[in-house]
Amino acid sequence: MLRRILHIACVVVLITGFDTSQAQQPPVFSVTKMSFSDPVFSEISPVIIKDGIVFCSDRRFSSLRDRKSFEGNRIYNIYMAQRKDTSEYARPVMLRSERSELFNNGPLSFAGDGKTVFFTSEVETGAVTKKRKFKNHSGIFTAELSGNELVSLVPFPYNSNDYNIAQPSVSADGKYLYFASDMPGGQGGSDIYFCEKVGGQWSKPVNPGTAVNSPATENFPFIHPSGRLYFSSDRAGGTGKLDVYYTSFIQGKWDDPVKLPEPINSPSDDFAFVADDDLREGFFSSNRRTNDDIYRFASTIIRKSVCDTLVENNYCYELIEENAVKFDTMPFRYEWKYGDGNKGIGPSVIYCYPGPGNYLIQLDVVNLITGEVMYNEKTYNLEITDVEQPYITVDDRVIAGSGIRFSAEKTNLPGWKIARYYWNFGDETVATGKEVSKTFMKPGTYNVQLIITSEPEPGGIIKEACVCRNIEILPAP
Amino acid sequence: MLNRIKYILFFSGLLLGAGEGIDLSGQAVPGREENIPFLVTFGRLGETSWGDDDFYQVFFFTVPKEYTGQFFIRIFDPDVGGEHDEIQGEFNSRTSFGVYGGKGVDPDKNNESRGLNNVKNYKGGTMLASRVFGSEPRFDNKYFTFGPFNPTAGDFSPKWNAYIFKVVVEGVSGDDGNLYRFFMSRDPENNIPVEGGNAFTYEYTFRMWNDFKSVAHIYPYVDTGVVYIRQRNFDWDRDGHILVVSRYKQGIGVSISAENNWMEDRIPIEPAEIGSSLDFQFHKAQGELVKNNNVVVTLESQRGDALPFFSSPIGGVPVYNPKITIKKTTKPK
Repeated sequence: MLRRILHIACVVVLITGFDTSQAQQPPVFSVTKMSFSDPVFSEISPVIIKDGIVFCSDRRFSSLRDRKSFEGNRIYNIYMAQRKDTSEYARPVMLRSERSELFNNGPLSFAGDGKTVFFTSEVETGAVTKKRKFKNHSGIFTAELSGNELVSLVPFPYNSNDYNIAQPSVSADGKYLYFASDMPGGQGGSDIYFCEKVGGQWSKPVNPGTAVNSPATENFPFIHPSGRLYFSSDRAGGTGKLDVYYTSFIQGKWDDPVKLPEPINSPSDDFAFVADDDLREGFFSSNRRTNDDIYRFASTIIRKSVCDTLVENNYCYELIEENAVKFDTMPFRYEWKYGDGNKGIGPSVIYCYPGPGNYLIQLDVVNLITGEVMYNEKTYNLEITDVEQPYITVDDRVIAGSGIRFSAEKTNLPGWKIARYYWNFGDETVATGKEVSKTFMKPGTYNVQLIITSEPEPGGIIKEACVCRNIEILPAP
Repeated sequence: MLNRIKYILFFSGLLLGAGEGIDLSGQAVPGREENIPFLVTFGRLGETSWGDDDFYQVFFFTVPKEYTGQFFIRIFDPDVGGEHDEIQGEFNSRTSFGVYGGKGVDPDKNNESRGLNNVKNYKGGTMLASRVFGSEPRFDNKYFTFGPFNPTAGDFSPKWNAYIFKVVVEGVSGDDGNLYRFFMSRDPENNIPVEGGNAFTYEYTFRMWNDFKSVAHIYPYVDTGVVYIRQRNFDWDRDGHILVVSRYKQGIGVSISAENNWMEDRIPIEPAEIGSSLDFQFHKAQGELVKNNNVVVTLESQRGDALPFFSSPIGGVPVYNPKITIKKTTKPK
């Protein structure tokens, strides 16, 4: 369960399906629980750093020491786990500050310099008291990371005793600071806000409006280096409780948020999503196993960096009597029999065949002076084959929201025993099958890849071929 | 009425590029492949408008150096009278046939030996034999044989590696047309060709077939350095078509002159056509048969050098070889 460190209420919502693809949809992410996640304590809000991961936890300081808040809850602090190898992490150590044993600390965000830390803590509202109704609000503080210490703490200018400001995420260029707040004037619950750094000062918080926020809860923003804004929300239409969404600021407006697929989202709370630069792997928090844990995800989506552009099969040929086209004073008529029952006349003709096949081309020449007909003066056996490639059959232009059928039926890979047809639709959805259907909800140009793999050949070799083509999705009228 | 057609084919005499290895077989003049019935020489009192501009004709015969036997030059229907010949009023003409050898015959060495442009000294060389024919029934429609000759009596041409002999035909009197043919033979009584021999000329005066179907041919030899041929024809009266055929030309139509005017074309030569013969085909117009139509055709290289005509085309009769290219293209819009 998320506790006080969130300071923002979570609303349980009904789980409803929201599937952008009608194709056979294999999982696009694999999810594993991090080894340092403790079954007793909570671990939340991971942050990717160069050598490991930083997160928040309410774990005991040590076997001898513990610290609880006035409500009796253990307080959260910031921990760092060094990465030992690709999957194992060292025992977490606390990043201490002057507030470590007094207040909840975290979630946090590192600036691009790797030293400046924006972290959540409590705003001191007055004298220390043991009144049980007393409650600090969350605020954001900046600090410098020095070893395992957070020093030079400075409160964020918009911290308030009246509402919460928490869960900072600073953009890669340091120009924008996103956070969650339940300050007055929002869309309801907590909303996502951002401040822009102008002249070395943070501007007043801006609510991006209903395109991002809803009457429900939005929190745990994460601004990815690509500009994509991830956040969590328990809005209607989710998979259950808090789910992770993303949106992008495109052409002056925020796009409609897109919910990440399962297994990142689940019927439980799924939040505090962070990802590496190429979105291939990252971390998030979830209470899908009773208490809050940190999970690692890795994309299982196959997207080839090298993929041939689909070559359209071309059955059009120019037939030329080379010597005849040089002169315009040839008293001959050239009659081409294309080999499919059709004919053409001229020293040079263009003909488009209906499809692959073997065609016996015959050239008859009529001497216009003598009337003599030279039958079959030249013959040519034309073999037309499709390009050896995976082939994507689909309309090039489709209206958003309408179903599209993708077919690999015209694939021409002679000698292949095809094991799998894998479709990457270019919108982080995939499908498998020779024929799949798909609905693009948003207008735009999507680069669709079809990746075909063969059955293992003798020696265990598996062949793979990839083609791609662009599909233009037009706005619905 | 006999038809006659006059082709004056000027040739400067350059035969560069040919030589050993070129098949010079065949000594029937006109050659079998030319499909021309007779050569024509009118008596000197005839009119040039009848088709003979100078009343003489010069032909050269080549005897390969390797051939050491004797040979004969036979003339079919040498007389002026009886069958074949063209009478003007009554037969009153005499025609001289002379065989020449020795130095002065080779047209590469003696430009005037070619007999072009009404030169006077076309009889260069040593006369080996001659005879004047009038209306003599015993030679009508029969052969008269000159010889025997020894090959070494000719003018040796290193370029052709052959001895060259020359036959000069002159209409010495009268105005009738003498129609005749030649054959260079190893036998005085029969036409047995000298292996490797050939015949050529620089000015061709001959008669066309008197029907629509037969197509006459001449085979100019394309020498090294020829880029294009300039073809000119005069007074064709638009009577038919001239097609130029080679291995690379299925039949280029050249412009045909009308009554009393000239037309001119340039015929480009492919590099692969160098060292071979072209086929100039003369097709008469279909429909009403045009008779007594005399024309002049000249062929020159871009340098102004006339092209030679061989009775047996060097390299054989050119047969067009179609070249088909089939390539992918974009779909027409």
